[in-house]
Amino acid sequence: MKQVVRLFQNSYHVFLSDKVAVILTFIIPLVLMALFGSIFGGSSSGPQGIPFAVLNQSNSPVVRLIAASFDTMKAFQIVKSFKDSTGKEVAFDTSSIKEFVRNGKVSAAVFFPPDAYTDTSVGLTLKFYYDPKNEIETEVIQGLLRQTIYSQIPSIMVQSGFRQTERYLGTKSGRAFNTGIKSLLGQYFKIDTSIFSNPSRLMLQRQNGDTSKFSSNFFDKLIRVEQQQLVGQEFRNPWATRSVGGWAMTFLLFTLTASSSSLFDERKSGVMLRLLASPVSRVHILWSKYLFNMSLGIIQLLFMFTAGWMMFQIDVFSNFFNLLLVIVAASVACTSFGMLLAAFAQTRQQAQGLGTLLILSMSAIGGAWFPTSFMPPTIQFFSKLTFVYWSMDGFLQVLWRGLGTSAIALNVGILFGIGALLNVVSVWQFRRGRIFD
Amino acid sequence: MIKIESVTKRFPSITALDGVSLEIREKEFFGLLGPNGAGKSTLMNLLTGYLEPTAGSISIGGEFVNRNNLEVRKKIGFVPQSLALYDELSARENLEMFGKLFGLPKKLLRERIDERLKAVELFERRKDKVKTFSGGMKRRLNMIASLLHDPVLLLCDEPTVGVDPQSRNAIFDFLTALNEQGTTIIYTTHYMEEAEKLCNRVGIIDHGKIIALGTSDELMEMLPYEETIVIAKNPSTLQHKATFEEFGTLLEEDDHFELKPGNGFLLSKLFARVEEQGMRYQWIELHRPTLEALFLHLTGRRLRD
Ligand SMILES: Nc1ncnc2c1ncn2[C@@H]1O[C@H](COP(=O)(O)OP(=O)(O)OP(=O)(O)O)[C@@H](O)[C@H]1O
Ligand SMILES: [Mg+2]
Repeated sequence: MKQVVRLFQNSYHVFLSDKVAVILTFIIPLVLMALFGSIFGGSSSGPQGIPFAVLNQSNSPVVRLIAASFDTMKAFQIVKSFKDSTGKEVAFDTSSIKEFVRNGKVSAAVFFPPDAYTDTSVGLTLKFYYDPKNEIETEVIQGLLRQTIYSQIPSIMVQSGFRQTERYLGTKSGRAFNTGIKSLLGQYFKIDTSIFSNPSRLMLQRQNGDTSKFSSNFFDKLIRVEQQQLVGQEFRNPWATRSVGGWAMTFLLFTLTASSSSLFDERKSGVMLRLLASPVSRVHILWSKYLFNMSLGIIQLLFMFTAGWMMFQIDVFSNFFNLLLVIVAASVACTSFGMLLAAFAQTRQQAQGLGTLLILSMSAIGGAWFPTSFMPPTIQFFSKLTFVYWSMDGFLQVLWRGLGTSAIALNVGILFGIGALLNVVSVWQFRRGRIFD
Repeated sequence: MIKIESVTKRFPSITALDGVSLEIREKEFFGLLGPNGAGKSTLMNLLTGYLEPTAGSISIGGEFVNRNNLEVRKKIGFVPQSLALYDELSARENLEMFGKLFGLPKKLLRERIDERLKAVELFERRKDKVKTFSGGMKRRLNMIASLLHDPVLLLCDEPTVGVDPQSRNAIFDFLTALNEQGTTIIYTTHYMEEAEKLCNRVGIIDHGKIIALGTSDELMEMLPYEETIVIAKNPSTLQHKATFEEFGTLLEEDDHFELKPGNGFLLSKLFARVEEQGMRYQWIELHRPTLEALFLHLTGRRLRD
């Protein structure tokens, strides 16, 4: 055990002396994360001041509320009027707003027609005008637009739901039914049913960020859970929160493959010979490498998540214990993977070449870069065979859904299981392999 | 002290050692001389326990060497043929890392490190990264890295490969002094001068077999002649190559010929022929034969080509 500790310390000594390795492990991932983050709107402030034209002809309070919420978003610089040929400010109309987009003055515009939200319709009708030339900007705008509108959906649904009942049952009986339901709900669930009749009150409350009043409200809670899963409105940076685990996993795999391959360097330089001529056994070396890689993995993941917290305000601390569990399990699985590569490859180049190939494909199908739900069912099946999937899923459970230990027990168990399995294979291969001969 | 008993080591493609038996005495400076691929490093790796023999056994001070015997390794210092150092670390950091593995108390280790660095004249450079060292400096560091625990047996696997004469002499002096203080040394090389100069006893190894064993003098007695004849290379001697070949094997070097006399050789006859052909006596010198000559005699091949 003493020898393992000494070798472990030595590994850190060597690692820290290798500036390139340190930079590759910490600095490069950090820079790439900041870069991706800011490109895809994950940075703390997100995209800012994208010019965006709005024309609202609807009188519905719901629509007015949505339109008004655009004004408060930093991402948009809302334009409602334009200078005509004489230099006078003129408010948009249906044709001038299209012209405005066509002329490239803004990348996109939204138009709420007078019937954007009516009593008879279930949802919201609006027109989105955009110039496909500015694809990325348009996507960002659409995303934000959707986000803003979805955040109002619960209210819209509630309101339109009651309207629908009234329509089908006739105004009078409908109203009676609704009142009946409301009082029932109120009686059994102690719900403040007044919000159903007056949804804009709910929305206004939301707008001010004061939901405390409704937090005891059963129905409201249900909706809020739904809302979190759909959109992640609660997160400052939903995109970053979803992605940070993926970035971290890919970098982790690269780091651990590289550091496992250091066995090849030590073999080549003769350090391995020197070590094994000392009172050190092969088992000591493997254990120390394993512990070193695993701890480096944990440190790197913690570093990446902390960086995510600082750059994108990802909330890593409120569920920290569970996050740590997934981090440890992911590091174990990745370390085992790196050791497996080192056991089977003949040279460092082979290990890294094969590693890169496997890392990229596992990251892709395991959902490190985009959610597995976007993939065809066959691929989704294969996703589940990768430990990247189980790590990613664990990170999502913890960071996105904020779930507890029982929710990640399966993930952690599978990751440890994969780690153990890979280790058995590696040890078997190390015994007959070339690293130690 | 060291007993190597009918040791055979087979790799999948080759038998690197074939029934080697050797006994090395305490405080001996033993040389293992052999060409590339003879099996020298393989024997060293068996002595450290890094490899295990396919057949036979090795014991050091009565203890058997194998992969799992970590205790016996505390008696051994091993200088690998390659530069087994971390380039990005300083000389001192390297020594600390390797010394630590022998469990020396920190303070003692520090003292030893400084002392050994001074002994090989690297103390001034102790804080510099190894990658900034010259080949000779790395070799010296590679050597003392194996000596921090004061081993009773030092195994040196070609410690002077690619070393300038100055560093080489420093290494020789260091090892000689170490041997005089009582450390047993096994030294492999394919330079016969090194083996002759340093070692009390030499084993010549070829194709995994010990083909000759003894002190320098004993080995020379295996030769059928007592001197090597060195002949200057000039137009006249070049022209009379055939004359010399009458007397034995003639080797052509860059700037001279070497004649290994055959059976029944008489110096007087050679000189008579030289005179007859109108060549000068000054072109001919007599040398004590080298181990190189013995190797040639035994194998029909040169030690190095
Ligand atoms: N791990 C190994 N696997 C297979 N063959 C090996 C291995 N190690 C050595 N050999 C072979 O065994 C033979 C002896 O090698 P060894 O390294 O002992 O020679 P050496 O005398 O040290 O040569 P050199 O002077 O070049 O260092 C060589 O033919 C070599 O190719
Ligand atoms: Mg060798």
